[in-house]
Amino acid sequence: MAHSLAAAASFSPPAARRRPPSQVTNAISSRGLVSFNSQRMSFVSIRSRPSQLRFKICCSAKKETVDKVCMIVKSQLALPDGTTVTGESKFSELGADSLDTVEIVMGLEEEFNITVDETSAQDIATVQDAANLIEKLVLEKAA
Amino acid sequence: MHHRLLLRRRGAMPLPSPPQPAPRTPGVAGGRLFASLPSPPPLQSRREVHVWYLCPDELNDHSQLDMYKELLSPSERKNALAMNGPRLQKDAMLSRALLRTTLSRYTDAKIDPRSFEFKKNKFGKPEILWQSDGSSMEWPLHFNISHTSSLIACGIAMDTLIGIDVEEKKRKTVKNILSLARRYFTPSEVDYLAKISDSDAQQKEFIKLWTLKEAYVKALGRGFSGAPFNRFSNQLETNNRIQISKAAKVCNDSDSGCDYLSENWRFALAGLNSSYYMAVCIEDNSRGSENGSVPLGLKVWKTIPFIEDTLVSGTDAVKLIT
Repeated sequence: MAHSLAAAASFSPPAARRRPPSQVTNAISSRGLVSFNSQRMSFVSIRSRPSQLRFKICCSAKKETVDKVCMIVKSQLALPDGTTVTGESKFSELGADSLDTVEIVMGLEEEFNITVDETSAQDIATVQDAANLIEKLVLEKAA
Repeated sequence: MHHRLLLRRRGAMPLPSPPQPAPRTPGVAGGRLFASLPSPPPLQSRREVHVWYLCPDELNDHSQLDMYKELLSPSERKNALAMNGPRLQKDAMLSRALLRTTLSRYTDAKIDPRSFEFKKNKFGKPEILWQSDGSSMEWPLHFNISHTSSLIACGIAMDTLIGIDVEEKKRKTVKNILSLARRYFTPSEVDYLAKISDSDAQQKEFIKLWTLKEAYVKALGRGFSGAPFNRFSNQLETNNRIQISKAAKVCNDSDSGCDYLSENWRFALAGLNSSYYMAVCIEDNSRGSENGSVPLGLKVWKTIPFIEDTLVSGTDAVKLIT
């Protein structure tokens, strides 16, 4: 049984949905609040009028976040020692089935104190995607 | 019922050499090789589902595995090799070989397993791509695949959407059962599970519910977010029918996200080989008094493609729960 977290399923998400992790989309509105994460210029936060201008941010999560995701994935999937899990690792290729997937998502929610809705979870193909989403959600929560 | 295909015993004689590459054109008759995939009894109606499964751990003969590999398209081979480690690679390869050989059986061996092409619906669910140039035959076949680490199953239905999910009965979750249920299932399902005091029994009921819900979501083909688990309940009714209903309070009529969570679905849940639960779900648009009263017809075969097929439904290996 497999689905969800994008290609953890018997089907994988449309290719068009995959976003290169390093891509950063900047958009600044006249009433924007912009904050920078000094670590890798990795995070631009934008607040604008919620009902109108809302920009989707895609950018690289901190290494620390990626590492935490890797750790949660490794423990959920009980991967053999020495298995490499990186930001590029695809959940489907690690052998995660749908039950693994929901457990991983729950693990991430607990670790980062966020809630991941199913639509967002479905777009996640790689560990990096998960880390990016987590940081986005953490930020939205803090705002 | 055994089919001794090729009349050879494993190990006593060499397997036939792998087939020559055939043109990948759907509808082109495959010829001699596919006489060794005997046609199963046909799918009698839209309410019948056939399931073919194999056990990867039992398939270790290299020339056999090479033969299966030859059936895959180049992109399937590439995808299989992208899996992490030889075991996952082998499973991915076998999954495609199972699908192709199974589909071929339902075309009266007119279509070479290698000839099938596939596309994805807009939500990513795989479907057969039939060439629309009028030159090839088409069959209204629908399929769905499910993996566990020790078994891969392919469900086939005619003219109707199908979803299948298989899970090991003893699958241990990392998270606590009730936490998982509270996060993902409906309140009524959480209540149902919470009332079970024996933890083994509770875990089994969780797995049953899980496979039923998965089978439905896979039949629907809209992905996990298309039918969030907590928006519909699967209830095992006292007369052993499974009713699917929209979760009260979560789904109101104004919520367009629930519009297609219709109740026109038919389920079967069975124990398989005493180690697995298998849930199958098909769409059932029939109307009238018979709706729900005629159970889904299920036939199950264990297969080693081109070597041996064994009908297991109707034996102890398949125990219908509903």
